[in-house]
Amino acid sequence: MNVSLFITCLCDTFTPDVGKDTVQLLERCGCEVDFPAGQTCCGQPAYNSGYTTQSKQAVKQMITAFEASEYVVGPSGSCVQMVKEYPHILRDEPEWRKRAEHLAGRTYELTQFIVAVLGIDDVHSTFQGTATYHPSCHMTRLLGVKDAPRRLLENVQGLTLINLPQGEDCCGFGGTFAVKNAAISAQMVEEKSCHVTETKAEYLIGGDMGCLMNIGGRLSRNEEDVKVLHIAQVLNSQ
Amino acid sequence: MTVYNRERFLDQLAGQLGRDRRTSAERPAYSVQPQERVFQGADQDQLLEKLKEQCKIIHTNCLVTTADELGETLRHVWDEDHIQNIVSAGGPRLEAYGLSDIYETMRQDGYHVHVWDEQEGRKNVTTAEKAGAGIVFSDVTLAESGTVTLFNDRWNGRSISLLPETFVAVIPKSTLVPRMTQAARIIHEQEKKGVPVSSCVSFITGPSNSADIEMNLIVGVHGPVKATYIVVDDM
Amino acid sequence: MSIKIGTKTYADRIQEGIDNTFMRHAVSSAQGRFRTGRLKAAEELGDWEDWRTLGEEIRTHTMENLDYYLYQLSEQVEKRGGTVFFAETAEEANTYVQKVAEEKQARKVVKSKSMVTEEIGLNEALEKSGCEVVESDLGEWILQLDEDPPSHIVTPALHKNKSQIRETFVKKKGYTKTDDPEELAAFAREQLRQDFLEADIGVTGCNFAVAESGTVTLVTNEGNARMVSTLPDTQIAVMGMERIVPTWEELEVLVSLLTRAAVGQKLTSYITSLTGTRLENEVDGPEDFHLVIVDNGRSKILGTEFQSALHCIRCAACINVCPVYRHVGGHSYNSIYPGPIGAVLTPLLDGYEDHKELPYASSLCAACTEACPVKIPLHEHLIRHREIIVEKEQKTTKAERLAMTGFAQWASTPAAYKLSTKMAGTVLKPWTKDGSIKNGPGPMKAWTAARDFPAPAKKSFRTWFDEREKRREKDDRL
Repeated sequence: MNVSLFITCLCDTFTPDVGKDTVQLLERCGCEVDFPAGQTCCGQPAYNSGYTTQSKQAVKQMITAFEASEYVVGPSGSCVQMVKEYPHILRDEPEWRKRAEHLAGRTYELTQFIVAVLGIDDVHSTFQGTATYHPSCHMTRLLGVKDAPRRLLENVQGLTLINLPQGEDCCGFGGTFAVKNAAISAQMVEEKSCHVTETKAEYLIGGDMGCLMNIGGRLSRNEEDVKVLHIAQVLNSQ
Repeated sequence: MTVYNRERFLDQLAGQLGRDRRTSAERPAYSVQPQERVFQGADQDQLLEKLKEQCKIIHTNCLVTTADELGETLRHVWDEDHIQNIVSAGGPRLEAYGLSDIYETMRQDGYHVHVWDEQEGRKNVTTAEKAGAGIVFSDVTLAESGTVTLFNDRWNGRSISLLPETFVAVIPKSTLVPRMTQAARIIHEQEKKGVPVSSCVSFITGPSNSADIEMNLIVGVHGPVKATYIVVDDM
Repeated sequence: MSIKIGTKTYADRIQEGIDNTFMRHAVSSAQGRFRTGRLKAAEELGDWEDWRTLGEEIRTHTMENLDYYLYQLSEQVEKRGGTVFFAETAEEANTYVQKVAEEKQARKVVKSKSMVTEEIGLNEALEKSGCEVVESDLGEWILQLDEDPPSHIVTPALHKNKSQIRETFVKKKGYTKTDDPEELAAFAREQLRQDFLEADIGVTGCNFAVAESGTVTLVTNEGNARMVSTLPDTQIAVMGMERIVPTWEELEVLVSLLTRAAVGQKLTSYITSLTGTRLENEVDGPEDFHLVIVDNGRSKILGTEFQSALHCIRCAACINVCPVYRHVGGHSYNSIYPGPIGAVLTPLLDGYEDHKELPYASSLCAACTEACPVKIPLHEHLIRHREIIVEKEQKTTKAERLAMTGFAQWASTPAAYKLSTKMAGTVLKPWTKDGSIKNGPGPMKAWTAARDFPAPAKKSFRTWFDEREKRREKDDRL
């Protein structure tokens, strides 16, 4: 199966290791992975801030970049959800809307793709340790991906999952929210970090780098030694 | 009895909706009807069990008795709380439930039982305000929520179920329905036939309560502090 | 009062909220209880999503035919001896109520909890006419005595603790007992019972009006709305124009959604459905009944992309799950409608000028949208507001506009984007220590005030992938 990797700008710039694990994981699952170099950012920072006009430039760039792809898979529920918004964003431009619909229909979040499209719920990985999982908001509520990550994690050899109290609460990232409403965001991430440390887990696992950078940044500021991992890193661990 | 400013107001709405004023509307066939599934097919005994369960949650005593024992049961409820002054709904059901005789006996035993009487006007309200218990008869009883439905009328003043500290509802078992859906349907069907709804329909679920102070549940705020349901099994 | 409750700046309000430890604790524990209650109630039903769908369909149909249903309602109320007043503005509504009060020579007015009367400032209007106005909902009464605005639309005094409440009772009403909630409530019962008996007029809100029968339905737990509609000879019900259903069949569905979503109850203690005046042979209930139907900016929402905001049934489920509300409390919104629905509704009813920050007071986590019993896409409405604030109202800063223009160019030019992934590490190097940034420049400052920022990777993903591909091609050639 041919899969185009939608890396997301955060992974591209800050956590290339997550990208590498994503590629290898998909290859282990029998996929042929390519990387359309025309891809940039999904446009969410502008769109969610009300700059719809500006976001459209990014959106069109992305549509063009992935035009030839059979499947588009990204290691982020939030960025993938943004692609699902493209037809709505371009609703007044019929040609573009059609292309947007085409892309949105073929785009999947990584764990969703593995479970729903590839039909795999055990990727035969081994990871020693105790971990808690943060289900990020856009992945669960908007994209509707709730079970896939858990199912895959439950089948990881050696991994003990601990329930995260009030896991469904937002970590306070919210893209530009973290900057524009920094005071509120700080309270939210502090609360989330406390819930994470309460579990006494060694690792925090998540499926969205934005949330993980936020919670990880707070944990590091609080000098907590919880290690933060993207789910691709755990699922690709041998 | 007038309607003010209606035309201008409604024209504005129609304008906003981008069309002419509508003079009728067809209710759509809704795509789902989950309300119909609740306790679907349950018989009166099963509904009674549901009612009893729900009463535990709503801080309400639920007693089951028979028509013959109704007088004894009522007396027991009052004696338990040392209630001497009682106000009761009246009308044809007094006779039908045998309550006229029961009340008469109780009066002879020294209880003050006032039956709502329109001839006495607002005095009824003053009496209800001083009464320890108010007795009403449920018109439709909702098993799911533990709710007594009262179609308030000339015999069943609103104050009876509101002002006394203890609220007592006599519930003929035959009035049990699964939930509010069935009660609403009865009213809706009547309206369609041109039978106007009561000036006040009270759906009462247990005693009054509030959680306004630090989210602590306080039972008994403005309305009754205590609620007792007496289900009459053979009615 | 009006929609707006104060004059402090957004930043000050937020900081005050964050600093109010008691309030935050109270809100957080209340949210916990509300959440448990709502989820349990939904679980019991088993098919909550069907209920939500039905709720949405009912609200959509009703709004699309609002002119007809309001017409039918007014006809029926009139038939049942009531008077109906359609008020386009708050002033019109208040003036009408004042006029009724003057005609009745009313001295005392008792009220049951009503958000729309808060919105239009009815109490102040009546007081100006010389009436004593008594709020009878326990929470509202506490706030009235303390001259404090509500911070939640279902439990308005959520931000107060029992010792504050006791103090208010002592100061304003000569209370002498302890801060035990039962004792406090018993005192309120005794004080207010007298008010109910003496009042000339009862004012209520309206949770749902039923068009087919001309009925006003009130959903309460305390029983005060029953008092207000049973004892005074005159009743005035005030309703927002959207608070209506076609028939009793829709009424019961929405009531079920409301009580479950609001407090996790199957039904509240009292659902009271009032139609017109008391009948000739009845002795309690009002002999004179007035229904005031208020627009006050609502009609401007009809026919727009925000129309579903009018579907709101005021259950506060969105408020009860909102993490932003949890940390800043209701007063920070500077509106009688706080939380996500407040952030959507307030700018629509009261303009962007005073409320332009509200649509941004959300991380767009969509917990509100998920909780809403009638499926209002609240977080999407917030994005629409932001769009309007940026494009139509042009209320954002120049720096932000410049940054977003830059973003658009960067994200639509792969070469520029690629360069930035390569350069990010170098640019941020002066601030980087041990692989992270603790005190970043520019907009990063706000981030690093509370948390570390990771240093960009030495080699971006795309560089690694390129190199890998080249290696593979070379291997293939060999």
